[in-house]
Amino acid sequence: MDASELQPVEQFLAAHSPFDTLPKESIQYCARKISIGYYSKASAFVEFDKDNPKLYIVRSGAFEVRDPEGVLVDRVGEGECFGFSTLLSGEKVVNKVAILEDGLVYHLPQSVFAKLRSEHRSFDQFFARAFAKRLRNETKFSAKDLTTTSRITSIMSSQPIIIDAHASVMDAAKLMREHRVSSVLVIDNQKLTGILTDRDLRNRIIAEGLDVNTLVSQAMTINPVTTHANALVFEAMLAMSEHNIHHLPVVDGSRALGMITSTDILRSQSSQPLLLIGEIGRQGSIEKLIQVSKQIPLLLQNLISADARAEEIGRVLTSVTDALTRRLIELNQQILGQAPMAFCWLAFGSQGRQDQVACSDQDNGLLLAHDPDEFAAAYFEALTKAVCKGLDECGYIYCPGDIMAQNPKWRLSLVKWKGLFSRWVNTPEPKALMHASIFFDMRPVFGPLSLFSELQDDVLASTQNNDIFLAGMAGNSLTESPPLGFFRKFVLERDGSEVKGMDLKHKGSALINDIARVYALSAGIKEVNTAKRIRALMDANIINRKDALNLADAHEFIAHMRLANQGYQATNNLPVNNYLKPQHLSSLMRHQLRDAFKVVHDAQAGIKLKFMRSF
Amino acid sequence: MASFWWIKVVLWRKKMTTLPSLLNTYLEAITPALTKPFLDAPLMAIDLEMTGLDPIHDQVISIGLVPIINGVIPLDKAQHMMISISGSVGQSATVHGIVDNQLHMALTLAEAIDWFLSKTKGYILVAHHAPLDIQFIQQQLIRCFGQSIPLVFIDTLAIEKKRCLMQQPVLKEGSLRLNASRARYRLPVYSAHNALIDALSCAELLLAQVSAMGDIKKLSVKDLINVSR
Repeated sequence: MDASELQPVEQFLAAHSPFDTLPKESIQYCARKISIGYYSKASAFVEFDKDNPKLYIVRSGAFEVRDPEGVLVDRVGEGECFGFSTLLSGEKVVNKVAILEDGLVYHLPQSVFAKLRSEHRSFDQFFARAFAKRLRNETKFSAKDLTTTSRITSIMSSQPIIIDAHASVMDAAKLMREHRVSSVLVIDNQKLTGILTDRDLRNRIIAEGLDVNTLVSQAMTINPVTTHANALVFEAMLAMSEHNIHHLPVVDGSRALGMITSTDILRSQSSQPLLLIGEIGRQGSIEKLIQVSKQIPLLLQNLISADARAEEIGRVLTSVTDALTRRLIELNQQILGQAPMAFCWLAFGSQGRQDQVACSDQDNGLLLAHDPDEFAAAYFEALTKAVCKGLDECGYIYCPGDIMAQNPKWRLSLVKWKGLFSRWVNTPEPKALMHASIFFDMRPVFGPLSLFSELQDDVLASTQNNDIFLAGMAGNSLTESPPLGFFRKFVLERDGSEVKGMDLKHKGSALINDIARVYALSAGIKEVNTAKRIRALMDANIINRKDALNLADAHEFIAHMRLANQGYQATNNLPVNNYLKPQHLSSLMRHQLRDAFKVVHDAQAGIKLKFMRSF
Repeated sequence: MASFWWIKVVLWRKKMTTLPSLLNTYLEAITPALTKPFLDAPLMAIDLEMTGLDPIHDQVISIGLVPIINGVIPLDKAQHMMISISGSVGQSATVHGIVDNQLHMALTLAEAIDWFLSKTKGYILVAHHAPLDIQFIQQQLIRCFGQSIPLVFIDTLAIEKKRCLMQQPVLKEGSLRLNASRARYRLPVYSAHNALIDALSCAELLLAQVSAMGDIKKLSVKDLINVSR
């Protein structure tokens, strides 16, 4: 019989990690050893055969791994695996796997899994990493975005927390509590002899029922894997994933210098935007600033490929825009001289909310301490025109709606801004309100905070508990609804070829922004970032905890999908937009996206009930 | 058991005549499977590639066998066999992608039937549009032994038809084809086609169909065979 006859199975394996790294013969061998099962939502959970642990490779459908407490550990879709924790640790199956969508699953027997691991390093490492990630229960990260040249000394904790090998584990636990760390280095005679971690305390002391006076030396991991001070961050990360550990003592000979943890490494990833912002602050001319701004798209790509949270990406990109704006103002002031009065550069819309993405246009305005005389008016006209032009040249195109500081309409004194907001708030006309909504997401980028606060306090005082205004805002936020019907349609037209795509911005992110804005204005909350608004609303008990967390998750997920989609479009030289083609969705993502849209739908219903009851 | 009286009758009548022992043991081996729950019964998805659709005149080119045991499909037991035929593969080659020179390693018809009977002994056959495949098998038995035997089978097409008719009164043409049926369960699309892959497709379809029927643990093979008759 021809060995390559199970072509569909082999092709599938060859297209997915980590099987894609295996030679053809191994894939054929693997395909032959697979048995195929079908899992139906009706049975709710995957039943595990305790005597025959297997690797489960999802061919179709969607699954959710939850720990015994019900906390979500992982979501698994097409081409992804579950069951490897048990295979690697040899421990009993404790996690439950819920079936979200019916599907085929390939079972790979333990013996074959072990054989592939021993024969192929890449295969082994893939699962070691996946396992480490599970244990860390943190967002994934990839090696490529790490600054490969930075040394670990730059990120290690400088003061190592040390305990003597003859101390008791209780002392160790107290020390760990005091310093809020998850591990300590164990020293005997000035020499590093071991490491004691939270996990050791749990597995070797508590689980064994040992006394708290047990010596540290009996509970610690002896001769831990270490690294030296000159190692690269990259090397430390490699050592952690190879040995499946999260704590790496840094030594000089046998002398302990410090400790580096997987969290330290994760944190170090964000250094790249800091460098860029630093560089922006150092540029001495507008031409050079424009030059530096060319790195922004690359930064976005890196952040997307690093799988950073969408909220963080938005904040990072906006900090870069803020820094650019500030530097442009400073450079132009060097030419124009000092300003004749105090002023504030205001950011509106996405820059205000700190959720800028690729190719954002500029939305800004100027807040002046008082009405300018002729000279001052000319000064600010020149300044704003130069700054807006600079931003345009740096890639933040002129606002099509002309909401820019260079437009005299949006370059006003404190009194006039107050008057403007007061008109929007007290005689709300729906159409005008719709256009005005982005002004309510305002944030000072440059200038004295006190000046800005005076305006914001005044606005929030007038919006808070203003039923008519809030009903108008709520009404506007309900003109669009999330594309839930899309999923029904998608199920009917399964190939999805006739479906144009989902507008993740206007039918997703923007709706959540609207919802958060209405609530925030109703409660006088100063935050303008949507995630922060939701958190503040939760803390103030205006939205209940569960709904708030769901809304925040939905916001993050939709924004993440939008960014990932734009990353995909950019790398494939497609026009970058907000439309997500359903063909690019795995059934798992479809499931999650539908959940996210449902949350938006429910939150809209909540808004309607709360603010529009009497209208 | 009542629904299988016909097998017993045939079995008894064949015994009275001179049934070759090979066919006799094959018939006897199947009986224990007939009363089992779905999860315990050995099933064998089969697919034949033929030179045409007429069992009398057309010939079988290849056979794919994919077992379903305890509700899962063990691929190490999946098998594919070519059969040498008289004359050329002809037009159907364009459908199956089999060309004459691939058939040099093929079995003769007698060898192939021997192989088929030994591999499927004790298994209930499963096929999509099963009556056609069954007729072809029975015609090959006649060619080899001069007589045929009844074969017990599950027809995934019949199951799908029944299910669809419960939801809508009129079925669109082509909506019961193997790939169209698989699409309703969101099973993956396989670009390649041969007897082995189509047998695998059929086996996966049955698992999906059975899952949609409700509690799989309460299902017996008898229920599925009865749909297919």
